[in-house]
Amino acid sequence: MLASLAAQAFHASDDGRLTLSGFGTLGLVHSDNSEAEFLRDIGQPKGADEGWSARVDSLLGAQLGWRVDPRWDLVVQGISRYHDSGNYRPELSWAFVRYRPDPALQLRAGRLGWDVFQLADSRYVGYAYPWARPPVDQFGMLQLTHIDGADVTFKQPWGSDLVLLKLYAGRSDSRIHVVDDLVADFDADAVYGGHLDYEHGPWRLRTSYTEVRSDVDYAGSVVNEIDSLQIPGLDGEREIERALGFSRLRLFSLGALYDSGPLQVQAMWNRSRTARHHGRIDSALLSVGYRVGQVTPYVAHSRAMTSSTNPDVTDIDQRTWTFGTRFDVARDIALKVQLDRIDTRRPGFLWRGDSDWEGGWSSIFSLGLDFIF
Amino acid sequence: MIRVRACLLLALLTLTLPAMADIAIVVKAGSGVGQLTRSDAVNIFMGRYRKLPNGNPALPLDVVSLKARFYRALVNKNLAEINAYWARLVFSGEASPPQQVATATEMRQLVAHNPSAVGYLDSREVGDDLHVVLILNE
Repeated sequence: MLASLAAQAFHASDDGRLTLSGFGTLGLVHSDNSEAEFLRDIGQPKGADEGWSARVDSLLGAQLGWRVDPRWDLVVQGISRYHDSGNYRPELSWAFVRYRPDPALQLRAGRLGWDVFQLADSRYVGYAYPWARPPVDQFGMLQLTHIDGADVTFKQPWGSDLVLLKLYAGRSDSRIHVVDDLVADFDADAVYGGHLDYEHGPWRLRTSYTEVRSDVDYAGSVVNEIDSLQIPGLDGEREIERALGFSRLRLFSLGALYDSGPLQVQAMWNRSRTARHHGRIDSALLSVGYRVGQVTPYVAHSRAMTSSTNPDVTDIDQRTWTFGTRFDVARDIALKVQLDRIDTRRPGFLWRGDSDWEGGWSSIFSLGLDFIF
Repeated sequence: MIRVRACLLLALLTLTLPAMADIAIVVKAGSGVGQLTRSDAVNIFMGRYRKLPNGNPALPLDVVSLKARFYRALVNKNLAEINAYWARLVFSGEASPPQQVATATEMRQLVAHNPSAVGYLDSREVGDDLHVVLILNE
């Protein structure tokens, strides 16, 4: 990517320049769990079985940018990864027009990344972070990949610090797999929210809020079983919505990134509230990496928990210890080796497969090759 | 006498050595920018806030031959980390990296003709048409 930019002769205005860049990951995962499949996120209909799998992490993305003038530009980005349709069919991840009348103001409209918490909208760009994948407990439960809408970003210096406010609104759709036999199709007609960032030296602090209002269609044998009871007034989809309350999600998040020289720390806490039964989806992450030359060892701890007053819904409780190393082996190429020790106390939609599995410890070993061009 | 000469030599060395290795961040002479703070420079080159103290937009330039030294001095990061940083911002559609130029000569010409451009040079190579806004000691 940077090489291609370097090859460009610089013109004072640089207008009309077209750039092509991209990113990708070749990822191999080994799981020792014979009862459930390991997932990167809840959109994936199948995960990694016991043994080796290249399914969950491998991906390829490409971006085309066209700078019309210093204020206007267009960005289109596509990605091919194993996702909710059960194959690698490429999808349009972003397609937006950007207007920057002033360094302190940015407006974008079109298809945008879902910037719901720190690093969320770059979670497929493996080269950008130390891990083999963003910790699943925190990033694997995100419901949307993009929104069709608009956002506005204001920046204001404050002494040597910087305050940033971003607001966005739009619509989206997505599919998540709640369990093997239950799919939730989100037709989110209103997604809106924003975040306030404070940047002080190596610190980037963020507080954010998002609301997602959707028509959720539930499908699968769970729905069919309820319908087959043929009790008047009993409707499978309505019962599932009553139990899960996915039609309205509210997400709160706090994040802190510390990035100074060789030391990188990420700390995040996230709480989603569902519409019913005081449903909560909580997740948290703490990660520390320290670079020595071209080698960056890191350790992370993450946690996911759900809770609800509905006795018919089983809650999730899972903690993960992650140990790994990133090797910057060549220009724009990084290799990663990672071990995740996952303590699943109550399994749920972060795993696929045998619904009889009651949890336990799993070891996931990952090898990754990340690149940009 | 020998000792005095040695002291003089040492003093000369300490005076000149850091200057040889320093990197100067430069703008066009007479563009109305006096100084940049280190955090101004970080904001401009790391794409956080690209505005000069005089209100002009800032257009940062990277010199490929000096880039590794520059980012080491500015944020204590190697080029792999800088590339990873930009991968995140570029592929989330948030910001673009500085324009890349191959040589210091090219940089000098561009900065001397554009009041928004911000470049960097080995501090020995600054000419009359450029104004130093910040010195980064290595």
